[in-house]
Amino acid sequence: MKLSELAIGEKGRIVRIGNVGDLKRRLRELGITRGEVVEVEHVAPLGDPVEIIVKNCRLSLRKEEAEHIEVEKL
Amino acid sequence: MKEIVIAFAGNPNVGKTALINAISGAKLKIGNWPGVTVEKREAEFEFEGRRFRLVDLPGIYSLTPYTIEERIAQEFLLEERPDVVVNVIDVTNIERNLYLTTQLAELEIPMVIALNMWDEFKSKGFHLDVEMLSQILQVPCVPTAAVRGKGIDRLLKEVIRAYENHILPAKMRFNRVIEEKIERLEEMLKEREIPYPLRWSAIKILEKDEFFLEKVKKFISGMEEEIERMRREIEDYFGEDIETVIAEQRYGYINGLVREVLKKPVERKIEITDLIDKVFLNRLLGMPIFFFLIYMMFKVTFDGSAPLIDWIDGFINGFVGKWLSIGLYGMGAPHWLVSLLIDGVLSGVGLVLSFVPLMFFLYLFMSILEESGYMARAAFLMDKIMHLVGLHGKSFIPMVIGFGCNVPAVLATRVLESEKDRRLTALLIPFMSCGARLPIYALFTGLFFKKHQAEIVFSLYFMGVVVSLIVGMILQKTVFKGESRPFIMELPPYRIPTVKMLWNSIWLRTRSFIKKAGTVIAVTMVILWFFMNIPYGSPPEKTVLGRVARTVSPVFYPLGFGKNWKAIAALIPGTVAKEIVVGALGQLYGLEEEVKTEKADTSFTQDLKQQVLNLKNALIKSLKGIFGGFKTGIFEVEEEKNSALARIKSEFTPLSAFSYMVFCLLWMPCAATLGAIYSEFGAGTLMLSILLTTTVPYSVSAVIYNLGKVMGF
Repeated sequence: MKLSELAIGEKGRIVRIGNVGDLKRRLRELGITRGEVVEVEHVAPLGDPVEIIVKNCRLSLRKEEAEHIEVEKL
Repeated sequence: MKEIVIAFAGNPNVGKTALINAISGAKLKIGNWPGVTVEKREAEFEFEGRRFRLVDLPGIYSLTPYTIEERIAQEFLLEERPDVVVNVIDVTNIERNLYLTTQLAELEIPMVIALNMWDEFKSKGFHLDVEMLSQILQVPCVPTAAVRGKGIDRLLKEVIRAYENHILPAKMRFNRVIEEKIERLEEMLKEREIPYPLRWSAIKILEKDEFFLEKVKKFISGMEEEIERMRREIEDYFGEDIETVIAEQRYGYINGLVREVLKKPVERKIEITDLIDKVFLNRLLGMPIFFFLIYMMFKVTFDGSAPLIDWIDGFINGFVGKWLSIGLYGMGAPHWLVSLLIDGVLSGVGLVLSFVPLMFFLYLFMSILEESGYMARAAFLMDKIMHLVGLHGKSFIPMVIGFGCNVPAVLATRVLESEKDRRLTALLIPFMSCGARLPIYALFTGLFFKKHQAEIVFSLYFMGVVVSLIVGMILQKTVFKGESRPFIMELPPYRIPTVKMLWNSIWLRTRSFIKKAGTVIAVTMVILWFFMNIPYGSPPEKTVLGRVARTVSPVFYPLGFGKNWKAIAALIPGTVAKEIVVGALGQLYGLEEEVKTEKADTSFTQDLKQQVLNLKNALIKSLKGIFGGFKTGIFEVEEEKNSALARIKSEFTPLSAFSYMVFCLLWMPCAATLGAIYSEFGAGTLMLSILLTTTVPYSVSAVIYNLGKVMGF
């Protein structure tokens, strides 16, 4: 499933990051890599973006970006 | 004496600036990196007979130039080769921070690591073997708590030691398959005498770092095929693209390293940040709290500074102006010279200074929002809306400030990380209807729309927003095409800002505004004086201003007010400050200007005492403004002579009056805003802004007037 489909409080392990050009580099720098566990912490009141926790660090990304990240739900 | 250059590199929000401050004793200077509007902070100081220059590199996550900040950092490290790099690490987040460290190590520059936020790290129950970490990385590691000034002395000593002994960091090894290629490439590069560290260059070339490839193009010509073959071999072996392979290797190395030196607490404690976010990012409460905070910021900034601005205005124009002109006349200066010095130069200086209180309050708030970590939350909450125009969530704040005053709004764009967002936001801010435009609306709605004053005024504000959204979308698709970047952003933990940090940021930024924008504003005032007064002593229609206005007035026929040259003439002094349009209209429509001759009816010391008293009252009023109820003195119109009002009324129709208000709303912002845009973004953006704020109001007013006519208004 996609990271954007996880609900608040759910965790997933990253399986694959789609081919999204420059975005991929940024994701990597922020520690979003294969095998990493992510947890959805908040969804903004207007429904987008979402806040996730990776490597003990809070990150915010838009749903359109989260769609490219494939996870297996834990 | 040779100057030792120390570059501070690290992720955003790790406390680099605070560390530099602590080391140099707050001698920070603020400026921009050449050619861009990314803030550059530097400090110079002496210690044990040596001269040091500390350079704060922009916060970056890696050395691959993806954003302008990363490009600046790579360029500086490669071309200027600082003597020592201090890698500032947020130790509470060590894994991610070390990603940059592994890249910095390859630069072959002596390095020291500051393990910042050490206090916080310890209190969370973590344990780190600093000794072991230093040994593995071959880099002296020093625990610091920059905000409390802890570990600073040791850090400085280690920096000197690293510099003197030229201690180079260890470089991580990649998988054998990659290492082979790196070594082969290194040899080839060595032959070609590439002027950069060999291993670094080899990795960057393999990684397809476009910025670096462009830089070394002539050194690697003819090698491209060979390099591509190496990349393919690696990609085939790992089944991933080369960049991912290298990044995963780095993370692998870091994982192993962290496992050896770091002991995590058994249970992840619930952090204060989590609790605060439960409220601030709550689906129901998040937005109301955000709007309340913005409202408070608005109120304190504008209500708090208004009495002080009035005082500065009175002090400069009333007190200094009065006694200066008495002195000048006493020395036998001609009338025109006194007018030039007082109405041109001095009022220009006064205008600049009158922004200082505003600046102070605004920067105070902005710094609190930034340093506390709330700014990132604000962006998180507002992103959905701002994204519609292709802007970042953080742009919302400068835009809202624009409703108060465009000048601080332009300066507030500094909170945005990308230069593109900053420029785009600054270009849209002039369409936000600032407080100074209200008197214009008040005058015209009072004359033509007595029954629907509030609705008309509201429609103007609303129109400003809509126009800015449309212009934003157009710019996004034209001038700023293809410069977009994803939203991904860190939400840093909440921290209590220190007074020292706040003061630094307020003082540095205010000073830089006075210096840079001040000149532009003062010069504009002098030019305007010439416009309005030459030939000296002639009636309005004979001055340069009057002649120009009458010549260009046909251009405004399609807008409905082209026949009233006086209305057009009033726009030009409006460039000084928008509310002046009202005064100028009053003058041009037949108010006799009373000849100002200052007489010494009170003594100098009496006046001075009065000024001190006024200052005291202003401060009290300011405090009342901050803590008291929200007062809106914005609908007050100065009483104009009836004859002038009647004449204005006879020359406009309700439709052309509305068209004129729309034009005033969107027309060129005041000199101070232009000065701010210039000081932040340079001449190019200033020109673009002027272009937008002339063509847009013209088109919009023309459309409104003609549509209105067709509809029978």
